[in-house]
Amino acid sequence: MSEEPKVPIPELGGAVVETGGETLYQCMQCGLCTASCPWRLVEGDISRDFNTRKVQHMAMLGVEGYETEDILFACTTCGVCVERCPRECNPIDNMRVLRAMIGESGSVPQAYRPVIGSLNSNGNPWQGEAKDRTAWTKDMDVPSFGEDTEYLLFVCCTSCYDSRSKKIARAVASLLNKAGVSWGIIGEEEQCCGEAVRKVGSEETFMTLAEHNIKIFGEKGVKKIITTSPHCLYSFRNEYPELGGEFEVLHYTQLMDKLIEEGKLKPTKDFAKKVIFHDPCYLGRHNEVYEAPRNVIDSLPKAERVEMDRFGPDSICCGGGGGRIWMETPPGARFGDLRVSDAVAKKADVLATACPYCTIMIDASNMAMGKEEMEVLDIAEMLDQVT
Amino acid sequence: MAEKVGCFVCTGCKIGDAVDIEQVLSVANESGAVVAKSHEALCSKEGLDLIKSEIESNELGGVIIAACSQRDHVDTFRLPNVFVHRANMREQMAWTQPPQEEDTQMLAEDIIRMGFGKLQFTDIPQPEDVEVHNRILVVGGGVTGMSAALNAADAGKEVVIVEKEGELGGFANKLHKIFPKDLDLAAYPEPDVDALKEKVSGNDKITVEFNTTVASIAGAPAKFQVELKNGSGQKTINADSVVVAAGWKPYDATKLSHLGYGKPNVVTNVEFEQMAKDGKIARPSDGKEPESVLFVQCAGSRDDDHLPYCSNICCGATLKQITYLKDLNPEIAAYVVYKDIRAPGHYEEVYRQVQKQNAVMIKGEIEAVEEGDDGKLNVQATDVLMNEPVFVETDMVVLATGMVPTTLEEDVLNLAYRQGPELPEREYGFPNSHFVCFPYETQRTAIYAAGAVRMPMDLATCIDDAAGAAAKAVQSINLIEQGLAIHPRVGDASLPDFNLSRCTQCKRCTEECPFGALNEDEKGTPQPNPTRCRRCGVCMGACPERIVEFPDYNIQMISQQIKNMFVPDEFEEKPRVVCMVCENDAMAAIDMAAKNGLKLNPFVRIIPLRCLGSFNIIWVADALSNGIDGVLLLGCKSGDDYQCHFIKGSELCETRMGNVQDTLDRLMLESERLRLEHVAITDYKKIPEIFDSFLERLEELGPNPYKD
Ligand code: SF4
Ligand code: SF4
Ligand code: SF4
Repeated sequence: MSEEPKVPIPELGGAVVETGGETLYQCMQCGLCTASCPWRLVEGDISRDFNTRKVQHMAMLGVEGYETEDILFACTTCGVCVERCPRECNPIDNMRVLRAMIGESGSVPQAYRPVIGSLNSNGNPWQGEAKDRTAWTKDMDVPSFGEDTEYLLFVCCTSCYDSRSKKIARAVASLLNKAGVSWGIIGEEEQCCGEAVRKVGSEETFMTLAEHNIKIFGEKGVKKIITTSPHCLYSFRNEYPELGGEFEVLHYTQLMDKLIEEGKLKPTKDFAKKVIFHDPCYLGRHNEVYEAPRNVIDSLPKAERVEMDRFGPDSICCGGGGGRIWMETPPGARFGDLRVSDAVAKKADVLATACPYCTIMIDASNMAMGKEEMEVLDIAEMLDQVT
Repeated sequence: MAEKVGCFVCTGCKIGDAVDIEQVLSVANESGAVVAKSHEALCSKEGLDLIKSEIESNELGGVIIAACSQRDHVDTFRLPNVFVHRANMREQMAWTQPPQEEDTQMLAEDIIRMGFGKLQFTDIPQPEDVEVHNRILVVGGGVTGMSAALNAADAGKEVVIVEKEGELGGFANKLHKIFPKDLDLAAYPEPDVDALKEKVSGNDKITVEFNTTVASIAGAPAKFQVELKNGSGQKTINADSVVVAAGWKPYDATKLSHLGYGKPNVVTNVEFEQMAKDGKIARPSDGKEPESVLFVQCAGSRDDDHLPYCSNICCGATLKQITYLKDLNPEIAAYVVYKDIRAPGHYEEVYRQVQKQNAVMIKGEIEAVEEGDDGKLNVQATDVLMNEPVFVETDMVVLATGMVPTTLEEDVLNLAYRQGPELPEREYGFPNSHFVCFPYETQRTAIYAAGAVRMPMDLATCIDDAAGAAAKAVQSINLIEQGLAIHPRVGDASLPDFNLSRCTQCKRCTEECPFGALNEDEKGTPQPNPTRCRRCGVCMGACPERIVEFPDYNIQMISQQIKNMFVPDEFEEKPRVVCMVCENDAMAAIDMAAKNGLKLNPFVRIIPLRCLGSFNIIWVADALSNGIDGVLLLGCKSGDDYQCHFIKGSELCETRMGNVQDTLDRLMLESERLRLEHVAITDYKKIPEIFDSFLERLEELGPNPYKD
């Protein structure tokens, strides 16, 4: 115990409540969040130091000591704690507000400075120029969203700029064409959904991005949106309505599931592999979409689907949410490794997922662990191969 | 003693398969049966008809029903005007022994012989009607007392409430709010004290004596003479039973100087409640509205130097008081330093709601409360959730002190009992005598504790508690009127008879009776008070002259059972043990063992006792001189967390055992031939092992040297 006593300042806790951390004082300090947090499943300093319960407590008291990168910015916003808290607390919201408070005081973690900078100047976090937002469409027949278009396909910034991830966007686009859906993209004018940067604490950047997108969508007459990423899905569904952006939003797996059922998409070629599905946190826990991706996998001829030890609402995060995708996580502490080990233990040929972050994080683990005989694929890529 | 005894052996429930029934019947005939018959189901209509017709045609005075345990088919075999002995052939023989073995047969025959032994010394008890007043005395006119009175009046009894203050309501009068407002807890009734008061004053069966205390209570249930005392003098009333609803006192905060009590701005939760009621929540030092208040939970509670227990309500009280602060001004900071927040039941919801009002919860211990600048208090505490010390500067500290039963500080009954004027204090000083199994029971018959005097509780629980205690008080009158026992041998008609011409005034019975049933005259001769008696037989076990007996339970009756056992000479193969078991728990455990298919040692003969406290050491002599190799006693747990239904029975038995063992040692007889074990009902699995290990030890000791 340190010598100098801590002096609680309840006004600070009150400020957290007023700016969105509404459940801060509801916490009864049971510690279930800390025990459920995926950081407990890995080794290292963060695992030792980041204690969700304690962050809530210190924030409630208004005392210092949790503001470091390894503590306050450790949370991947995976939502297990939110799912399990017996007091219906939302530690993610509470920590998001705390991060925002730190951000306002000017001490944003180094890793986020270029990300926020790029979002403000380019509208994406990946340092890509806005004009390259549609580079993924090269040599493809991709319609522009027009007055009579039914669906806007909103492609995640990651799949616009990351070369591995572009394949996901292309696969989704190809499938939409095959099914004869009325769809189109907006392209250059649209900007990042802002989900992740808000979690990092940059409320202002999020607001700018969201207001911009809502305006563009409105101008173009967008009513229905298909997202490639569950993070965009979350933001459009749960954050945009408060800002005046009301749309019918679907994750692409939900649409594909429907199209297959209606016979508009016909997977015909064999996919004779053992497939294990990793539930992305934002598709599963945050948006409660568990069935659609599984139905799509089950429609692949000859595919054998197995489950991880922890799946559905208990799924383990890939490590890429909450802005962690832009942070360096030391070897031994990467959640992606846990997913790869689980899938390898189940002798899967393909680890399937449905989120650009998960694909990047888990693929990185897969390679670092030398398990390339197992493929890490997005469901769209698999479906497109056999349809 | 019944002149003519019939013996009926059931062959159902596997009894018939286990032994040669004809042989068993011939043992009954040898033992003196006028008629001995078997039937395939004695509990059936045909079986009962058989018994009844034999009773009539043979003019039987006693019957032995050799069938299931006495705990089973209790009502089926309740037969008028004959003495019924239930010889347990099922649980103690058929279900726990291998069939068709010599030892099983011998056991069955012994069970019959022992039954005949018992019948030689038993008679049907004849209860005598007692005149009652149908009046209940309620001591204390708080919410509990008023509720108890209303319940008893509803049941047709007259009630006299004795209230020491000039108005009804007790502690509830001091409360600002009974419950935090604006909670959506519709299912939870809000006790309305004024409504209760009105109902009580409007009820013509209830009389309230204001500004009055109980000067003395003489007599016994149904014969209580209660002297009431007030400013203008004394008066006497009669009552049958008593509900003690004397309430509680806050723990003396002057003992809590380590938490800052004594400093002007440190108050107790009771003092704070008064401030709220007066509409003046302010720092005592200067009358200013506080900007912050720090509540200290468990102030002197769960603390071995003060109150070792949890008072149940202090967490709720603090949560409620925080709402007073927030109602006054939401900007007032509320800190709570706690060990645990104990918010049972609906209080969990209160806890949530209060937390949402930004109460700052600090789990830890107070290190120091000191006076700071400008009337502030400097509080140092540890915070175990950060593992760091914290420092809070606050305007006020409120100590959440616990509840102490009023009876610990004041005499409220002044009983003219040989064993003292008040209810014996059990755990933590509360008069509750059976915390788990029998709420409201105290160690004085027909005197029931209810509300916070019984255990710490909130108002809503007090109301429920009052209903329970009132029901007991009413029931007790109805049983006493018929001359029957109230608790725990409900309906027992027997009473101990003291052959006083042989009494040596040793005072053992008057000292040992757990219920203070026996007074003493100047010489020390016991003076029984039948309506105080619970029929436990502790006096019978205590008396060295063996002059206490019940018509259906006495020393010879047990001695004769021991003597009737057939003891073979060959110890190697056939040792013998008498096992005396408490009827309340141990006996049930044996039945449970049987029902669960466990096997028992065939050399043990079981004799039920009303309570181990009725165990008389003469039986050891009887057993050893009859060639029996060992005596095993099975009783309930004694000590602070006793399970004995008669509170002190098994403890007294232990003391007596110690004395006998000393004697045995002096007689060069191994004291290990006598063993006492504690078993709860749930310990039934241990019974086989308890028997076997005792027999193993006896084998090591060799045969009883008195065996002939
Ligand atoms: S699980 Fe919920 S109540 Fe428990 S410590 Fe975490 S946030 Fe608090
Ligand atoms: S959201 Fe996930 S990573 Fe963040 S604290 Fe909760 S369990 Fe841990
Ligand atoms: S039987 Fe029990 S209660 Fe009655 S006088 Fe004897 S010891 Fe007391």
